[in-house]
Amino acid sequence: MRNRLPGLVSRDGERKVRVMRGLELTLRQTALALVGLLFLFALPDIARLLPAIQLSVLHQGVVFGLAAVGLNLLVRHTQLVSFGHAAFFGTGAYTTALLAAKYNVTEFALLLIASMLLATLMAMAIGYLSLRHTGLYFSLLTLAFGQLLYALVQGQTFFGSSDGLPVRPGPNMRPDIFGLALPPDAYEVLVYYLTVAIVVVSLLVMWRLINSPFGAALDAIGQDRTRAQFIGIPVRRYVWLAFVVSAVYGGMAGALYAMVQQHVRPGPVLYFLRSGDILFMAILGGYQTLFGPLVGGIVLVLLQDMGRDLTNYFDALTGLVLLALVFGFPQGIVGSLKKGGRVRSAASSFKNNPAVVGAWVSSFAESLVTAATQSVQNVKVLVFGVK
Amino acid sequence: MSVVTNFITHTLHGVQYGFILFLIASGLTIILGILDVLNLAHGELYALGAYVASSVLGYVVGLVPPPTDPASQAMFVAVVLGGAVLTAAVLVPVGAAIESVLLRPIYDRNEVYQLVLTFALLLIIKDAIKFGWGPTPVRLQSVYSGINGIPAASLVGLNYPTYNLVIIAVGAIVVVGLFYFFNRTKTGRIIRATAIDREMATAIGVSTDRTFTLVFAVGAFFAGFAGAMALPPTNASLEMGANPLVLSFVVIVIGGLGSLRGAFVAALLVGILSRWATWQYPPAELAAPFAIMAIILLVKPDGLFGTWGEMDA
Repeated sequence: MRNRLPGLVSRDGERKVRVMRGLELTLRQTALALVGLLFLFALPDIARLLPAIQLSVLHQGVVFGLAAVGLNLLVRHTQLVSFGHAAFFGTGAYTTALLAAKYNVTEFALLLIASMLLATLMAMAIGYLSLRHTGLYFSLLTLAFGQLLYALVQGQTFFGSSDGLPVRPGPNMRPDIFGLALPPDAYEVLVYYLTVAIVVVSLLVMWRLINSPFGAALDAIGQDRTRAQFIGIPVRRYVWLAFVVSAVYGGMAGALYAMVQQHVRPGPVLYFLRSGDILFMAILGGYQTLFGPLVGGIVLVLLQDMGRDLTNYFDALTGLVLLALVFGFPQGIVGSLKKGGRVRSAASSFKNNPAVVGAWVSSFAESLVTAATQSVQNVKVLVFGVK
Repeated sequence: MSVVTNFITHTLHGVQYGFILFLIASGLTIILGILDVLNLAHGELYALGAYVASSVLGYVVGLVPPPTDPASQAMFVAVVLGGAVLTAAVLVPVGAAIESVLLRPIYDRNEVYQLVLTFALLLIIKDAIKFGWGPTPVRLQSVYSGINGIPAASLVGLNYPTYNLVIIAVGAIVVVGLFYFFNRTKTGRIIRATAIDREMATAIGVSTDRTFTLVFAVGAFFAGFAGAMALPPTNASLEMGANPLVLSFVVIVIGGLGSLRGAFVAALLVGILSRWATWQYPPAELAAPFAIMAIILLVKPDGLFGTWGEMDA
């Protein structure tokens, strides 16, 4: 029994905090995790202090972050880039909305579980059909299946066509939480904290998953499928399983989204731009990390919301941020802040020798010159063809 | 109208739709087949083509007399087609710049960065269009009605817009031209050689850098051309890029990844079948192409045709 309790243990001369079986953090990681937890719990108060930020927006960011965490299982470990994850997000959202609007199911937990179930079934079908391929073909197939779902929902009056469905069941006009009918303010905050709890549990589960033999097998598959097959890993079955798990995260996020927004429309939950958003959240936050996608979700949603107030051209703003990400911080926010990441190493080299700034400037100027000569060459190619 | 003329009209609509789809998908499939890049901004290049065309065509059409007699009608068609080519030419440097400045540095990285990059371009081009032409949709009906004033289809007793026939004719010429380019010209063969085996192509003295720039520029050219041809019957709006992009994905998947011949067959198949389906059952309009894709993939998981390397006319 003693071993199952959280506590300090010593491993390889390093003191670690034991949270549960198979999950031991260094002191530094523990501190960071606690700060992160505190941040998530304090978000409603932060939103109250800053008038420009609304809790519902932050909440949305956390929800999308959860979907991105799920997608990241595929992208990071099996190296499969799904471009249709909105299908599962939308399945979750629409399951909740349908049950609430058509069958008057009011219980929060019931709606959530049903959404996860439906997302699982959907992922089993789509995964079976699209996992026959890898690489870009897989991306295209998932995207096409996502759009098929979008087209079907958009075209049916049963799903409310393009107007969508309201999530306002029961006399209280909102889901009950464990049998409690709450007023709007209390509902908003309680759903937020439930979301945080779900996110924390999901992250713990994900941590266990990727540090298990199954996670190691997925890594092996991502590095070399053929070799993984050779050493006896049932590649197709494992990849399929990973696909379903990642979809369950998406379905969960979709259900939470529906319960927060209290209205579901096909555009925001099923359209392929949403799939793109979820993928880019993972990369923005740092897809080689566990928490990165969550951070990316909050940041991207905030950015889009604030950009909308700031300028008419907020799409381009997001685009520029993504461009800067690709060229400047390919490891993402969390990845760059990590040990050995771009920001940390730049800061330390600056600390060692401040003159390094000169080298940065000259390398930037150099790349500008290269680009200029390149464009002259391009004109030559376009005019005279390829030799 | 009898059932037969109805059938012919809807089939013609399907063929016309298929050629527009092919024009869009051809650029995408060439880029995908040779550079291995899924260009998510392709739909926005198409939209940019339509917007540029609204300015270019609006200007050049004003230079010629309104079409009344056969001579001026022929002149009008020629001017419109010239304007479309001019529009597409505007897109060429855009494509070349995107490839050489933005894409080239990240070829050796994980493919997710290519997706992020092209998605960022999608957002930026969309707002650039909004900046240049404003948020309201742009129309150019005079070109459509001007060409439709030529009574071509009524010669055989059909009531069918002449502009659509022009699209079919132009599409057919483009198909023949593309196959000729890739099979018979030196540059085309070099491009195919690069697609099949990059290292070997480099070894025999082909500059892959230049080939890639050229290929992306050609892809942008066809996106712009498709946009220019698709503009007159409808209007250009900020949302017009997304649908053709996804539909050309469907076409590429059905045809087989990177196969130009596959893209052609698939575009016509999707065009005609989805028009028939919409004719018989209007709500099927959105879902029909995806349903066709799902059925074909169940029968042939690799699409109709093989990869680029196996292409033979």
